[in-house]
Amino acid sequence: MNRTLKRTYFLGAAVAALVAGGAQAQQLTIAGPWIGTDEEQVQAVLDVFREQSGVDARYVGSDSFEQQIVVDAEAGSAPNVAVFPQPGLAADMASRGFLTPLADGTADWVRDNYAAGQSWVDLGTYAGQDGADHLYGFFYKVDVKSLVWYVPENFEDAGYEVPESMEELKALTDQIVADGETPWCIGLGSGGATGWPATDWVEDLLLRTQSPDVYDQWVSNEIPFDDPRIVEAIEEFGWFARNDDYVAGGAGAVASTDFRDSPKGLFASPPQCYMHRQASFIPAFFPEGTEVGVDADFFYFPSYAEKDLGNPVLGAGTLWAITNDSPEAHQLIEFLKTPEAHEAWMKQKGFLTPHKGVNPDAFGDPTLRKMNDILLGATTFRFDGSDLMPGGVGAGSFWTGMVDYAGGEDAAMVAGKIQDSWDGLK
Amino acid sequence: MDNIAGSKSSLTWAVHISVALLVALWLFPTVGLFVSSFRTADQISSSGWWASMFAAEQNEVYRTADPDGTRVADGDMFVVSGNIFEAGLEGRSISRWGTSSRDVSAYAVGETADMGDGETMVLEADGSYEWRGTDDQISGRGQRIFATVTAPPDFTTENYETVLLSGNNTDNMAKAFYSTLTVTIPATIIPIVIAAFAAYALAWMDFPGRALLIACVVGLLVVPLQLALIPLLKLHLGIGIGKGYLGVWLAHTGFGLPLAIYLLRNYMVGLPRDIIENAKVDGATDFQIFTKIILPLSFPALASFAIFQFLWTWNDLLVARVFLIDSSGTTTVMTSQIVELLGTRGGNWEILATAAFVSIAVPLVVFFAMQRYLVRGLLAGSVK
Repeated sequence: MNRTLKRTYFLGAAVAALVAGGAQAQQLTIAGPWIGTDEEQVQAVLDVFREQSGVDARYVGSDSFEQQIVVDAEAGSAPNVAVFPQPGLAADMASRGFLTPLADGTADWVRDNYAAGQSWVDLGTYAGQDGADHLYGFFYKVDVKSLVWYVPENFEDAGYEVPESMEELKALTDQIVADGETPWCIGLGSGGATGWPATDWVEDLLLRTQSPDVYDQWVSNEIPFDDPRIVEAIEEFGWFARNDDYVAGGAGAVASTDFRDSPKGLFASPPQCYMHRQASFIPAFFPEGTEVGVDADFFYFPSYAEKDLGNPVLGAGTLWAITNDSPEAHQLIEFLKTPEAHEAWMKQKGFLTPHKGVNPDAFGDPTLRKMNDILLGATTFRFDGSDLMPGGVGAGSFWTGMVDYAGGEDAAMVAGKIQDSWDGLK
Repeated sequence: MDNIAGSKSSLTWAVHISVALLVALWLFPTVGLFVSSFRTADQISSSGWWASMFAAEQNEVYRTADPDGTRVADGDMFVVSGNIFEAGLEGRSISRWGTSSRDVSAYAVGETADMGDGETMVLEADGSYEWRGTDDQISGRGQRIFATVTAPPDFTTENYETVLLSGNNTDNMAKAFYSTLTVTIPATIIPIVIAAFAAYALAWMDFPGRALLIACVVGLLVVPLQLALIPLLKLHLGIGIGKGYLGVWLAHTGFGLPLAIYLLRNYMVGLPRDIIENAKVDGATDFQIFTKIILPLSFPALASFAIFQFLWTWNDLLVARVFLIDSSGTTTVMTSQIVELLGTRGGNWEILATAAFVSIAVPLVVFFAMQRYLVRGLLAGSVK
């Protein structure tokens, strides 16, 4: 009797599973890399969309999104819309025919309504399976990377001023050392991605020592990695990171300190360091109860006053692309163009936008507004170069090369090795 | 004569010490994880778990109350007083303190700190302070106080509350628990049922090609399941199963079968031939032999495979991600839920430690309930 009962249960469950798989009316599925609090925030944005359109939009976040989306696309079970954390993967999927081009006119809209519009169009345009270029990705939610974090009260206690130029920043670094303290906290550790914070340093410093053209040609490898100009930028990073006096724990600790732990030195008693260069997301790793804007603040990673290169800003962003075509997916992209979509997340935390039509008063947090001003005031905006390089370099040899460099290897040799690995991919 | 069974070896003490050392070695990381699960993220990043069990001296930053709301006029001066230790931090005592990040241990307790222009601060060992100054000085934010504090051990159950009760998607931990059971129980029973039949056939029924079939099963043992993920998912989508419980049961069944058949077949082959031949002589059919003789005798092997399969499906993330979790967001499993609790950049060690203990609770119960069969089952087929 028991066995019959069990059999009925299994049969019932199997039928239920089959039925559940079949019913999908007016449903829009979205997959992305955001989990935890980020997921709650994107849900709040989608709530607005659900209300406006009546579409049952469902977002599922995954920390292994990059692998998951490839598996799903290959098997044919992709969600309608995917949120890519970096353009490289989207370009790859577009070339294999997994993405649907956005509606005509979207490119013109981005060009007209985003600050530095053309660069956002270029970043979202890839060659499709047919070889022709289309706009596949719509940028929504941007991070600014050119920020230096500090504790205003520590600066006050020591009598330091926020530097306005790279010369002043270097002078301040020396002064802190002269006062017997340690100026910087730098940590490159990030599990399998160890080394990426150093790539941001090098990119930021390249934009401050060379023109944006050099940066673009470097990213596309028209200028080789071991070009003297690139090596110079790597050595600039070494000026900060390879000096035992400049870095908390000494230069040897740079590669082994986790990037999530390194900002905590700012808040230690007594302070282990005074400055930390990291992107706009880093307050998530500040000690509990830290109030950004009061307990901790940031300033723009300054450019050289003597070099006439303007105020370059390095950033990153997430792009939304259609992985499984449906009218609702296009409806969602249309929604993302509206200021309401941007303001819905601006009200919360950790969101910056290049959209020129939004009301800046919508920012729920004055520091976000200050960051967004840095973004909108940029004379040059460049996307994180390592995200644009081929995966084997930008998420491989560039990372490991920077770890080697931080460990004491010669800059030209490291750059040569990275170039070799790039050549190997061609 | 030391080695005669029954007499004690003179080296017993060495055996005991090595066993104790090995047990300590194995338990050490687990204990660390367990202690960490009761600490906050800031505690974990500032000191090791071994330091958490004793009163420790540490440098901390505190802040006085916000002057604008709490200051009291005293002549032409203003005074803010209170205690830097909030509720829950009692039992701490201060040895040295300071008001500037440049000199965090400038003063002894009870000493009056001169902060310039007549602004003063007094801090006692129990954390009570008196901050005195002019209208201008006592305004804005509370003054920072850097204190060298001796703190008693401090543990919290907050992490368990986060994981079990108030995580990001409140009801999901319970939901994830039940859907993990929904995945795990059928995914354990189905392969056992199929494998038991197959093992009997391969062990005791004579048919041509039997040896070749056994060789195939052994061969399948070495095929990594990752190879089959995408083709199998394509097949599921093609025949209409899609992503869901049925798909994940089938996948777990398929991936578990080679080991199950191999293990059970080797055990069944070792059963005494006489019993089975006697039953045949008495007129029993193969099905009767299987249900009345083989199954009861194979219980240790069945139980030990059940433990293997249960643990593997319970801890599985990969197969569930591929075959179960679709983008509608209605299905999830514990492992996936725990990964999500770690946050977008995965830095929450306290959640990781806690989640590890929550998720091993059920496997531990299963293991201890069935472990006496495990050793017997592990020997399956090794002695004839």
